[in-house]
Amino acid sequence: MQGQMMQHYGQMQTPDRMSTHGSKMCKVNMMNGGDVMARAGSMVAYEGLIQFNPNPPQISGMMRSWATGEGVPLMIATGQGELYLADYGKEVIVMQLTNEALSVNGKNILAFDATLQWNIERVQGVSMLSGMGMFNVVLRGQGWVALTSKGTPILLDTREAETFVDTDALVGFTEGLRIKPKRTARLGGLIGRGTGEAFQLGFHGQGFVLVQPSEDQRPNLSIRG
Amino acid sequence: MSKQFTKGQKSQLSQLTAGTDLYVGIQLNAPGTSWDISCFGLDVNDKLSDDRYMVFYNQPKSPDGSVEQLGPQSGDTNSFRVNLGAVPASLGRFSFCAAIDGNGTAAQIQSGYLRIVAGGTEVARYSFTGADFGAERAVMIADLYKKDVWRFGAVGQGFAGGLADLIRNFGGQVEEDTAPPPAAPPGFAPPPGGPPPGQPAPGFAPPPGGPPPGQQAPGFAPPPGGPPPGQPAPGYGPPPGQPAPAYGGPPPGGPPPGAPPGAPPGQQPGYGVPPGPPPGAPPGQPGYPQQQPAAAGYGQQPGGYGPAGGYGEPYPSQHQPVQPGLMASVSKYREVTTPGQRWTKQNSKLVKVTLGPDALARRGSMVAYQGNVEFEYKGSGGLRAMLESRLTGQGLKLMTCKGQGEVFLAEDASDLHIVELTGQRLCINANNVLAFDATLQTEVKRIESPGLPGGGMFHLEVGGQGTIVVMTKGTPMTLMCQGPTFGDMNAVVAWTAGMRVSFNSQVRISRTVYAGASSETETMQFMGMQGHFVVVQPYEV
Repeated sequence: MQGQMMQHYGQMQTPDRMSTHGSKMCKVNMMNGGDVMARAGSMVAYEGLIQFNPNPPQISGMMRSWATGEGVPLMIATGQGELYLADYGKEVIVMQLTNEALSVNGKNILAFDATLQWNIERVQGVSMLSGMGMFNVVLRGQGWVALTSKGTPILLDTREAETFVDTDALVGFTEGLRIKPKRTARLGGLIGRGTGEAFQLGFHGQGFVLVQPSEDQRPNLSIRG
Repeated sequence: MSKQFTKGQKSQLSQLTAGTDLYVGIQLNAPGTSWDISCFGLDVNDKLSDDRYMVFYNQPKSPDGSVEQLGPQSGDTNSFRVNLGAVPASLGRFSFCAAIDGNGTAAQIQSGYLRIVAGGTEVARYSFTGADFGAERAVMIADLYKKDVWRFGAVGQGFAGGLADLIRNFGGQVEEDTAPPPAAPPGFAPPPGGPPPGQPAPGFAPPPGGPPPGQQAPGFAPPPGGPPPGQPAPGYGPPPGQPAPAYGGPPPGGPPPGAPPGAPPGQQPGYGVPPGPPPGAPPGQPGYPQQQPAAAGYGQQPGGYGPAGGYGEPYPSQHQPVQPGLMASVSKYREVTTPGQRWTKQNSKLVKVTLGPDALARRGSMVAYQGNVEFEYKGSGGLRAMLESRLTGQGLKLMTCKGQGEVFLAEDASDLHIVELTGQRLCINANNVLAFDATLQTEVKRIESPGLPGGGMFHLEVGGQGTIVVMTKGTPMTLMCQGPTFGDMNAVVAWTAGMRVSFNSQVRISRTVYAGASSETETMQFMGMQGHFVVVQPYEV
């Protein structure tokens, strides 16, 4: 057989813990003792002996947060082999944290090393306006993280100017920023429409915000069930 | 140290080397095929206006010696010496191209590179493989071009024709041979009765009866016999080799023989995304009005310049390891700043508008902003228009962005295209409008047809001076209307005003063919003169 399929899309030997295969798939090299927290249902393929546990003890303590509707349904993957993850064709950004901290919108988490310190935090101020709250996963320490973004994201520097971001388009931000909700539309503008430019989150300080070019409002419905 | 270039990457030459006397070596590893490697010295309009600056096997040296073919050297299949200090000011670009002699395709290249050596040290190298190309028979490898200063750009663009087509693409002329098209190289043989071999560039003899090459007036000079296929129309129309012109350049398959007089001026700067890159379009064309950093405007071209600024889709086999550190992974997504430009494409799916004058944007399309900006509800043009939009769902729900600052706009990860209007009128499907300058004149119009829901199709007709951002799902195609042109109503994005548009119901046919189909398609028929076009997206709403 001949063709691009065979020549260019084969498995690659990568020494890294996580890497991208194309721009929309994440590959994790699994080994014993190095568990990975991954978005539930994001596994597209794996090789080797890998087990998935959708209700790991690490998460059960946080179940209350899931109950609010936001958050990340996570599973824990253990074992040895190669694990491939993807989330409905979204762009994947793989990064290696070196004692940095990042707060990621729950919808944009694909996978991260279980050895990272992580916590689910409610973003200040959002619940006051939207009534449902917004939960971010705060990751800290040394290890690998894979995020998703619908479309190529943009990095906005919050040092130069206060940056306001639509909460639906927010992917993540660095820790230590001052966050303040802002409302821009007048009441009249809200009539007859759902979410939109009603309020944003303002970020200011030393760091950056990552924004995706899509306001991800619709739930990802699986066609295949 | 040698800097590695990837396809589409550009750099100022001064950042690579201070020298201007360069050695350019090209290696091609393609067993079973034979390649002609040549260097085209193009003028500031990217035309081969002086064919003495095409340096190739038949002409190893330019008249002033500034460009010279050195032949195979230390591992390189072919090499050139380019002395940029001695190059006449009329030249703006050296394009290094390779074309197949005989059978084969560019995909057969096992490996290859183009390297620049200055002062005995290799300063830049662009490596490629046949995987970067398809069935093309020629490859534009890299360019040395002048935009204020000399720059180097790795092009890596395949080209469908052979060497003769490349020359035509650059505006040169090739004696047509009676042999079938694949026999491109024989086209270079001096024609019977033509200039004897040994005379410079025998292949450049004009078509019989045509003007001699040196006299190709920029104004109007069609050869009496009609231009050979693929030759750019010498008249008013923009030749296909220029990226800027018209609304995306002539369609692949042959340029229209010039826009008709009186048609909307063909030189409109700006529809940023031509349907296929005009084969000769080099990145970083001087004077390209839509020029953007990282060639963002080129990113979406099919077969375009590939990963521009890191946004392209590399093959998994071209995987790059992730560097440690948070910034290492995200710094490629940095904001693109272009002082003085109001609308800036950040990547293929995001635009930034710097406010001053108001801008109108689709409601809910703001993803972020910096500065003091207010968003105000804006109806789509009066009560009547609103009522109509309620009825049909086709309405354009807009908001006004006011204040001082920068607003980032995007919608559902659609591909965005910045169109600058300079007096022309364009009709855009209401579903494909993302944002526009408030100074543009806009009008919601309806094309009536009894078969349609709501009794017609709504679109926005825009005119005046300003910018409009069009969004498409997928890479659009611009069809020139040279005969009756049809488009699915749900896939038509935009068309030039002034065409006769009517609906052509295909209901019965589709019902019979797809018995289970529940939705009938309405086909729009466009009748326009040359210069008019229709833009279609690969997605039916």
